[in-house]
Formats: sequence, structure tokens, C-alpha cells
Amino acid sequence: MAGTGAFGYAPAIALFPLVAFVVALTFGKYMPKRGAIAGILATAGSLLLSLWLLVTVAGGEVYHETLYEWAAGDVLTEAGPDGIEFTFGLLIDPLSALMLVIVSLVAFLVHVFSLGYMNAEGETGLPRYYAGLGLFTFSMLAFVYADNLLMAFMFFELVGLCSYLLIGFWFRTRSAPSAAKKAFLVTRFGDYFFLLGVVAIASTFGTVAFAGENSFVVAAETAIENGQTLFGFDARTWVTITALLVLGGVMGKSAQFPLHTWLPDAMEGPTTVSALIHAATMVAAGVYLVARMFGYYALSPTALTVIAFVGGFTALFAATMGVVKDDIKQVLAYSTISQYGYMMLGLGVGGYVAGVFHLMNHAFFKALLFLGAGAVIVIMHHEQDMWKMGGLKDKAPITYYTFLAGALALAGIIPFSGFWSKDEVLYDALIVGLEQPVILVAYAMALIAVFFTGFYTFRMVFLTFHGEPRSETAEDPHPVGWSIKAPLIVLGILAVVAGLVNLAPLAQVLGADITFLEHWLDGEFGSVEGLTYHAYHETVAFEEGAIGSETVTMLLGAGLSLGLALAGALTAHTLYNVPEPVRHKERLGGVRRTLEANYYQDEYQVWIAERFTLPAARMADRFDQSVIDGLVNSVSTASLFGGSRLKRVQTGLVTNYAALLVAGFIGLLLLLGTLGGWFL
Amino acid sequence: MAIFELPGWTALAPAVLLAATALALFVIDSISPTTTNRGLLAGTATAGSLAALGVAVWFVLAGVGTPTIDGGRGVIDVLGNQFVVDQLALFFMIVITVVTALVTVASYDYMEGHAYQAEYYSLVLLAATGMATMAAANSLVTIFIALELSSLPSYALVAILKDNRGSVEGGMKYFLIGALSSAIFLYGISLVYGATGHLQLETIADVIGNGDANDYGGLLGLGILMLIGGFAYKTASVPFHFWAPEAYEGAPAPISAFLSSASKAAGFVIAFRVFTEAFPVARTASVIGVDWTVAFIVLAVVTMTLGNFAAATQENVKRMLAYSSIGHAGYALIGLAGISADGGALVMGAAMMHLLVYGFMNTGAFLFVALAEYWGVGRTFEDYNGLARQAPVACFALGICLFSLAGIPPLGGFWSKYFLYTSALDAGLLVVAAALVVNSALSLYYYSRLIKAVWIEDPVVERDSLSQPIGLYAALVVAAVMTVALLPMFGPVADTAVNAATAVLT
Repeated sequence: MAGTGAFGYAPAIALFPLVAFVVALTFGKYMPKRGAIAGILATAGSLLLSLWLLVTVAGGEVYHETLYEWAAGDVLTEAGPDGIEFTFGLLIDPLSALMLVIVSLVAFLVHVFSLGYMNAEGETGLPRYYAGLGLFTFSMLAFVYADNLLMAFMFFELVGLCSYLLIGFWFRTRSAPSAAKKAFLVTRFGDYFFLLGVVAIASTFGTVAFAGENSFVVAAETAIENGQTLFGFDARTWVTITALLVLGGVMGKSAQFPLHTWLPDAMEGPTTVSALIHAATMVAAGVYLVARMFGYYALSPTALTVIAFVGGFTALFAATMGVVKDDIKQVLAYSTISQYGYMMLGLGVGGYVAGVFHLMNHAFFKALLFLGAGAVIVIMHHEQDMWKMGGLKDKAPITYYTFLAGALALAGIIPFSGFWSKDEVLYDALIVGLEQPVILVAYAMALIAVFFTGFYTFRMVFLTFHGEPRSETAEDPHPVGWSIKAPLIVLGILAVVAGLVNLAPLAQVLGADITFLEHWLDGEFGSVEGLTYHAYHETVAFEEGAIGSETVTMLLGAGLSLGLALAGALTAHTLYNVPEPVRHKERLGGVRRTLEANYYQDEYQVWIAERFTLPAARMADRFDQSVIDGLVNSVSTASLFGGSRLKRVQTGLVTNYAALLVAGFIGLLLLLGTLGGWFL
Repeated sequence: MAIFELPGWTALAPAVLLAATALALFVIDSISPTTTNRGLLAGTATAGSLAALGVAVWFVLAGVGTPTIDGGRGVIDVLGNQFVVDQLALFFMIVITVVTALVTVASYDYMEGHAYQAEYYSLVLLAATGMATMAAANSLVTIFIALELSSLPSYALVAILKDNRGSVEGGMKYFLIGALSSAIFLYGISLVYGATGHLQLETIADVIGNGDANDYGGLLGLGILMLIGGFAYKTASVPFHFWAPEAYEGAPAPISAFLSSASKAAGFVIAFRVFTEAFPVARTASVIGVDWTVAFIVLAVVTMTLGNFAAATQENVKRMLAYSSIGHAGYALIGLAGISADGGALVMGAAMMHLLVYGFMNTGAFLFVALAEYWGVGRTFEDYNGLARQAPVACFALGICLFSLAGIPPLGGFWSKYFLYTSALDAGLLVVAAALVVNSALSLYYYSRLIKAVWIEDPVVERDSLSQPIGLYAALVVAAVMTVALLPMFGPVADTAVNAATAVLT
């Protein structure tokens, strides 16, 4: 079945945006919409092909094929065979097929939205913008269906590069280049560990493939079963170490504590880029990687616990900071960090379906919220401070209602999509937490975060759309076109209905078989062997408990989280849904300062950089300048001096030449004669 | 399967064709002594060398020299084994005829307005005949005659610009050093004859193998060393290199290209043949008490170091290339230094590859100098400043040739050096491999200096627009293109080279 049917066209999914990138870069200046058309066509093509693939996978077919081997060699690996191959290949199973659709859909909508957000606003440098979007989409799509860890790493890096280029799109401002650099450096710090992890896995198992008989997951499983010792550790410990190294990259990209600091600053990029980064590409890449190699993480309860705990902590940590932000995009930024915390929690407790479900829902409603915020920013003539808005509800109804749908989903209010997935994450965490105190703590933090989420989400909604207009621009909004409205409507509908694909609580109560996503990821339609929810679930070594029966536990958890979300929303309603809302931050006292300073995370990271990294770099520089350069310089001086001396041998007098020639010959004769004993 | 078998002597057809072309040029010259019909003369010369090239390529493809068990026609002996046409001979005939063709095409423009045009071309072809004969010569006598046949026209060619002091002086020095070297070489032949009683290469090896020469170990050793001197002269290796900088600098630039590429290659082919066929390492070592590879190890290291270090400080471009050519002789000498009792085909094949690639890239670099002389822009690096603005195509071709000379991947020069390096390591020649790396690194300095001058620097003086002589341009571009085009063919060609080396080594 190699390359037949839909799968034969699979490479085109990623290549379309790459072509758009090249076209926008080379001809963008001369094109009517400065490259937008090329990008829209390319992502539309990718979307259609992705949908076709989704249907094909639903028909029970999967695709796992090596396309190109670019290096192979013999090495002595610790556990695996004595050789390794580095390849480019595609792995299209239910997970990647689903993700392809999400990414290409969001990318397509972002491209369309950009027509209204960038072109209509008369931005310059648009070919660069669309080229960046194209390359970004290409990298992410290629990352999504990479069939091995090294290829994934390469495109992971490319994603990072593209985010750098796009966050720094307005490079003439002071803040954008700085934010771009920060995003690049912080994620690179995480990727450094990722690279170490890739090398460690490759040198341990002699393979970097995700799936199949020769995957490192299978090799690790075998090593653990055989009780092998790898690099002086027992196999499970070594798997934990390598899994945590890879997790470094995940935490950088998915903005998990303590590597989350780049993400709020990344709001300096165009809002469309934020939508793309947060919903479907950069940030999603981290969590997706965990899902992609979930079989490996499943082998290590320690790594899973770390993931769950970091996730739960980040969910709460970021949510509290979101409460005090005045900039609409900043609120959304912290909500992103918080929501990815939920996904990590879900995956960390073995809730593979829950994590992926939330990843999907979040992609839709967060893209919606960011594009909605983008629409608000257009309406407000590029004002982002929520205190200067207000009363936009009646003036921009489509924006308002779609934004509201996204907000309800984000806050986790039944029956919007976010409720179903968040509830499933929390339920999975709860049942494991009943047996594992550490996870219970993570669950508790995530639960509290639900309240804050409800609060900041509706604080944002009320401040932006309700009450009286608080500035002149809010009284006289800028109209928005259909290129802005259409994507909002599409995403608005998805934010409402996407939850339908996995109504786990209802299934439990009604006994109906409506958990489609679970069946999908469990490979009931088709799957690559070993990459199913079932297989993962068997590997994960967590015990699960229940309060009373499963149904009771489930209803209790759902009721608790819904209650907290509503409580948060109601608090926001009381405080801010008034004609003339006032700031209530002062009531927080000292906590407020800490929150506004983002828990001094930036400060301590800068402090580390200044106190340790900078002096170390200076030392290295001094060593390079004096010892290394000195050595190099003296070598070149000596060479040139020697050269000028040698040049003088060539006197121009032919008699000298004859003498030197004979002398040289005699020298050689003496050497050989002595060695050979000719003179004896 | 051939329908009819050609007589044996026709195996020497490449050399014979070159000689016939030289004679044809004499005929043209005697019919019309004052002819300035450059097209006719250069055309005849080029056609002759291309015909010789075509025949040599045809022979290779037809399987001449390939062992009969592999479906080839086997090695062809001519004149009672005085000559032998095998893969080694054909490989070098190809190198020599290619360079000859490039040089004659380039000379079309370069010799414009010069006297002695017919003589010039016939001398070039006579020298090429000598070199092609050297490739096939299989006895010390024929080797010496062929060597002189190539040397004598060369002296005249270097000095052909009679009004130019440098040319005459260079020719004179070349001749004097050449005479001294020939004397040493000839004395070496007589000593080897005295020790073994034979001149034909295989029979010398037989005598050494039988142990009949055991009593004359020192004599034989001295003879071998003197032969090395003769080869060192022809290949411009230290300490017989003194003629090279001045001869190359004084000679017309196409002749410098010719001598530094073709003549050097011819020097190497006789060295390869004599030392692999007449003096097998192990058997000779048991007679003379020492591996002759020691001499080549010393020569290789000293030659490449001296050549590159001296090149680094030159101000005159042509002289820099002359020294770089000495340096490259040092690299190619690794091919002999790496031969050992149990093999060496790889390292010798690598050296042959290097000489082939070098034939293109070095010729190209010298032809750019010829172009500069044609334009009259001057001789130093400074004079070359900013040429790329007026002649981007030529300067691009120059860039390719120079980067290839320096051994920058992915150009041909990188791969041949890389093979030399790895095979030197395999042969255990750590010092030689290290010297190769250090010298290559140094060579990048002075090659890139020239590239910087033409591409980056601003011209010191304003120049008028430069003409685009078609012959020089064509030859230069072909040389650069071939440097790159060899890449896809590198595998098969390298196989041919290694096969040829294997054939003479066993």
C-alpha cells in the first residue's frame, strides 16, 4: 500500500505551504495581495488533502513509509543493533491525521483572516509576512507527520525559527525584536535538552523511529523486560532520563513552567501570528510531541508524574497571572499557558485521549479567541487595553457572539467544547490521583485553576464588550470585513460543537456509545500497531481509584469543575458587568504586585543570565581572544615568516640553484644511504 | 568484438596522432612561412589533440588495458615491450591531451600578433607527443628519449617571447637545470643498468627478484635515487623545483599551464610506472636495504610544505600559482609514498585522480592569468583588484578553479585530496596526512586572497572595458566546467584510476 491513493499525495500537504513560502518570497511584491492568495490556496490545498487523509484513515488504512534515507552508518549502540539510519518518512495514523486537519484548518483560517487584519490595514512587508506563515505551516505539518524523532526535531527547530521571524515581524519597534529573541532563546534552551535526548535515544537503541517493530519505543520496552543495564542505569531509569531530556524541548515550546516566560512577550507579533502559534503550531508542537511518543513516556511512571505535576502547576500558575492583565492579548497569552498545562496534566496521568481531545478543542477556541481579539483590535484602531474598550457588544455583534462562544469554551461551561475536554482531563487526573497523592496535588491545582479561568475569561469579555464605551474609539468603532468575520464564524461553530466528538460523561451516564474520539485514537478505524490508546493504557503503570462508583466519581468531578467555572464567571459578572467598571486589583494588596510582576519569573531568569551566564561567556570570550586567537595568529605569523624566508631561497641565480639542487640531492642520498647501509 | 584487429603499434595512436599533427604544422609552416592565419594553426593543433584524446578515450572504452578475464583486450605491448599501452598509459594520455587541447584553444588569442606562431603550435604538439610517449614508455631508454622529447620543445616554448627578458631568462634557467637533471637521470639509468644488466622495466624487476643484483645494492640504490632526481625535475618537486617559479613566470601563461599540468602529469606517470614495475618495494628493499618510499615520503612532505609556504607570501599571481603547482606536486607524490609491499593501489589511484582534476583546475587558473596578460592589467594581486565587475564570467570560473585547488567541498579538488588523505591514513602515513591537511589549510589563504582581489576589492586604477577573447574564454570556462562536471563522474573515473594502479602494482 506504499504511496497508494490518498497517501501518495501526503507529502504535498506540507509541500504546498512550502511552495507558497517560495512564491511569496520571490514574487510576493508583484502579486495582487502580496502573497496572501498563494498562502490561502496552499493551505486550502493542504486542508483538502488532510481531510481526504482523515477519511482514508477512517476507512481503516494507515501509512508508515520511509521516503528518503540521508545517512546510515555502523555504530555500536547500547541496546540495539549495530547500525543506525537517519531518514525522512511519513507516519499517518489517527493522531497525525487528526492533527494535520487541525493545523491546516487553523492555518487556512489565519491566512484568510490576515487579508482583513494585515492587507486591509495597509501593513508593509507583507510578502515577508506571508512567506513566514507559509514556512511556519510547512514546518508544523512536516513535524506532525514525521515518522522519527530526528526528523521531528529538525522541523521542531524550524517551527522555532519561523516563530522568531514572525514574532519579530515589526522589527522596527523596540519590543518586537526583543520578544522574538526571547522566544528563540528560551525555547532553544529547552531544545538543547531535546537534542541531548535525541542523541541519547539514538545511541541507546540505534533507532529513532516512532512506530513499527524497529521503533525506539519497542526497543525500550524490550530492554526493560530483559532487565538490561544501559549506560550504567537500569533500563527504566535510563528511559526516564531520556524521556525527561526530550521533555525539555516540550516544556520550552509548550511554555510550561519555568520556560513559559517567552510566551506573553510573543504577543508583540501580529495577532494572527499569535493565533497560529498558540492554537496550532509552535505551542501545540510540544504537547503533540508527547502524544506522538506517548508509548515511550508510558514506560516511565516517573516521567509521567513529572509531566502531570508540571502541567497542573502551570495551569494554576498561569491562570493566576491572567487575572490581573489589562491587555486583551496578555490575558489570552496566560490562558494559553494555563490550557497547555491541562493538556500536559491529561497526558501525564495517562489520559491520552483527554489530552489530545483538549489539544483539538483548544486549537479551535483559542484560534477563535485570538482572531476575535484581532478583530477587536481592528475595531479599536489598534488599541489593546481593555480598560479603553467597553460596549462593543452592540456595535460588533458577530465578533461578540463568536468571541463569547470561545470564552465559554475556554472557561469550560457546559455544553461548549472546552467543558468536555477539560472535564475529561480532570476526571482522568482525579481517578489516578485517588491512588497517587502527588497527582492528587496536581489535580487540586488544576481544579482551582478552573475558577481563575472562569474569572479572567469573563473579566475579559465584560470589559471588552459590555458596559459603556470608555474611549472615543470604542464609541466609534472601525468596521470589519468578511475576511475577518468568516473565520470567526467557522471557528465559533467549531468551538460550540467540537465537544460532541467525545461526550464521555454522557456516554457513561446514558450508556451510549458516543465516545468517537476515543474509538478513533484507539484504532478502531485503523491504526499503526502499538500506537493506540489501548496499548498505551496497558503500559501506563498507574492504578485508578474511584469515589463510590465510576459514574459517581465522574459526576462529582464534573459538577465540581463546572461549579468552580461558573463561580469564577459569576464573580467576574458581579465585579465587571456594570456600566462603569472599576479596577479591583488594589484589593489584592501585596499579592497584586507579585502577580503583575508575573511572580518575578523574568527577573530571576535575567538575574541568572547576568550573574552566571554572562561572566561565563566573558571568560570563554577572553580565552578565545587570547589563547585560541593568539595561537592562530602566531601560526599565521610563523607561516608567513617561514614563507618569506623560503622565498629568499629563490635567489634568481641559476648557479645557486644548481648548488642547492645538488646539496638537496646529496642530503637525500645521505639519508637513504645511511638507512640502507650503502656506504659500508 | 572487433571485426578486424588493428596492428599492435596502432595502440600508440594518441602519441602518433600528436606527432603527425606537429608535422602537419611544419608542413603548413614550410608552405607559408609567414602565415598569421591563427585559426588554421590553432585549429589544426586543437583538432590533433582532440583526435588523440578521442582515440585514447575510445581505447579505454573499448577495453584496452582491461584484463582479458574482465572482458577487456588486455595490455598491448609495442616494439618488443619498449612501449606498453595499459590503463595507466591511457589515463595519462587523456590528461595530457585534454590539457594540450585547452592550451591550444587558449593560445589562439594569447599568441595574437606574436611571431613564430606555427613553430609555437608544433612545439606544443611535439612536447605533448613526448609526454604521451612517456605515458607508454616501458624501458629506461624509451623513457629517457620521451622525456627529452618533451623537455627540449618546452625550453623553446618558455623562451618563445624573445623580446621579453623574463621569458628568455626563464627559458635559460629551465634549460640549465634541465640539463643538470637530465645528466643525473641518465647517470642513474647507467647505474641501474650496471647493477641489473637490463633497461626494460619488467626484466629489471626480474633481476632484482632473482637476487642477481644483490651484490650491487649500494650501486642500485644510488641509481634509483638518481632516477628519483630525474622525476623530481619533471614534476617540479623539491629540490629539483628551482626552475619552476621562474620558468612559469617568464613563459607565456598558456605554456605555464601546459607545463604545470601536462608536463607534471607526464613526470608522474613515468615515476609511477618505473617504481611500480621495475622496483617492487619489498624485493628492492631486500637488495638496497631501505624502502624507496622513504625518499618519496620526505620529498612529498618537503615539496608540499615548501610550495605552499612560498606561495603564501607571493605578490605576483603567476608566481603564486607556480609555487602552488609545486605544492600540488607534493600532494601527488603521496601516491608513491603510500605504496607498500601489500598494496597501495588506492593511494596511487587517488594521486592519479588528483592529477586529472588538477589538469583542469590548474590549467583554468593559469588561463585566467593568460587572460589577464592578454588584457594587460598587470601581474600582482593588486592589479587584479575588482576584475569581477568587468569580467564576471571569467572571474567566476577562476573562483571555481581556485576553490577546487584549495580543496573546498564539493568541488573536484576536495574529493581527490580527500581520497589522498584517507588513503594516506590507511597506508599509515600519519605525518604525510597531517602535512597534507596543514598545507591545504594554508593554501586556502593565498587562493582566497586572489578571489578576494577580483571579487571584493575595488580597482586601484580605472580600467577601460575589457575585451572578451573567445578562445581564452572558451578554454577557461571549459576548464571550470570540467572541474565541476567531474563530480558526477568521480566514482567511475576513480574506479578506472584505481584499476590502472592495481594493474601495474600486481
